[in-house]
Amino acid sequence: VIAMPALGTVVDTKALLETVAASVIAGVGITVIFSMAIAGAAIFADARRHARPVLAAGAAFLMGVGLAGSAAAVVIGIIVMTSK
Amino acid sequence: MGSDVVLVIVVGTALAFDFTNGFHDTANVVATSISTRAMPPRIAVGYAAVLNFVGALISLEVAATVAEDVVDAGAITPTVIFAGLIGAISWNLITWYYGLPSSSSHALIGGVVGSAFVAAGADAVIGDGILGKVLIPAVIAPTVAFLVGALGIVAAYRIVGRLRPGAVGRGFRLGQVASGGMLALAHGTNDAQKTMGVITLALIANGNLSADHFHVPTWVVLSAASAIALGTYSGGWRIIRTMGTRIIKMDPAQGFSAQGAGAAVILASSHFGFPLSTTQVISGGVMGAGAGKRVSAVRWGVAGNIVVAWLLTLPAAAAMGAATYGVTRVFGTGATGPVVVATVATGLVAYAFARRARQGAPVPAG
Repeated sequence: VIAMPALGTVVDTKALLETVAASVIAGVGITVIFSMAIAGAAIFADARRHARPVLAAGAAFLMGVGLAGSAAAVVIGIIVMTSK
Repeated sequence: MGSDVVLVIVVGTALAFDFTNGFHDTANVVATSISTRAMPPRIAVGYAAVLNFVGALISLEVAATVAEDVVDAGAITPTVIFAGLIGAISWNLITWYYGLPSSSSHALIGGVVGSAFVAAGADAVIGDGILGKVLIPAVIAPTVAFLVGALGIVAAYRIVGRLRPGAVGRGFRLGQVASGGMLALAHGTNDAQKTMGVITLALIANGNLSADHFHVPTWVVLSAASAIALGTYSGGWRIIRTMGTRIIKMDPAQGFSAQGAGAAVILASSHFGFPLSTTQVISGGVMGAGAGKRVSAVRWGVAGNIVVAWLLTLPAAAAMGAATYGVTRVFGTGATGPVVVATVATGLVAYAFARRARQGAPVPAG
């Protein structure tokens, strides 16, 4: 008979919860950040077309932050992969 | 001499498994990009193949191999590994035949557990390893990916929902090139390592390498990376269709959210040391991205078939691994059994491919 031990003895519950938390934060975070970049780009294009420089500047800033955050997420992902 | 013949067959079978792994799991990486037209199909699989190859070279720390966590190392012989691989390849091809995304990793684990069980008895199977390393992650990882995919798409629609759809779609398609690339890298790192570990174990079991100084030879790294990349490039179009269009009808934002969810869960799990199935994670992310938009947007019948395939993978591959080991041993302990089984298996695989080709494989244009 194959012995199946109690759950707590075979799984590091703390590491498991940290994995779930990191997955949720990173997964939802990257979608939110990239969505901000797209929103910034779309608003920037409209604002320029309608000659609204202040709105265009704000949208460009939003786009820049979103793109920088997305690029950072990719770099962190590669670091995680290479440091296994 | 006999053992060297077995070793050559085991290495060839392991590389064949690696090829089916890439072939079978191409869908995980490219299906969402293809279905949202982020990339043309051939470009997408070529891109995934290259990044799978690179991913396989990124990290050379073979995570103690799948087999060692679930099977007593003393029970592992080249013939046990061979039978396990045949069990895994068989299940991969059966699920490919029916267009079902299932876990190649679980197929490999199941195959090796089944063959070790027949070879050395129940004591050879490590119950807590199967529970902690396979079963619990198999439940949690796709559930978390589902949740992340759903939350991600809800957030994305709130941010971009009132903007021009054309610009938003183009933006998310561009993002999918990056998120798909991350998935391909993660897949190559995770899955090619398993084959490298299996081949290295066979070399140790055969006495070609020392167990005291565990290292993966360069030729093993390069051959495993090449096999998974070639398999990926060959493209399992049947599963790509299931994953890309049959679970949900996907828009670019959903594709990005599903891929983001998949990459985040895979990388977080790798970081904290939980092995998982990339197939299950991506499927969970796709279903979540669909359900986040509208619960009825998910074709739950197709999703149910996929979950059934997940549940069957471990026991079915174990049964095939066990049967293969039994048949192999009918011919004694020498090389005859593996030679006969490998020959018959090659013939059956050729027949399955020819039959599917006659029926017309769904290869998309472009």
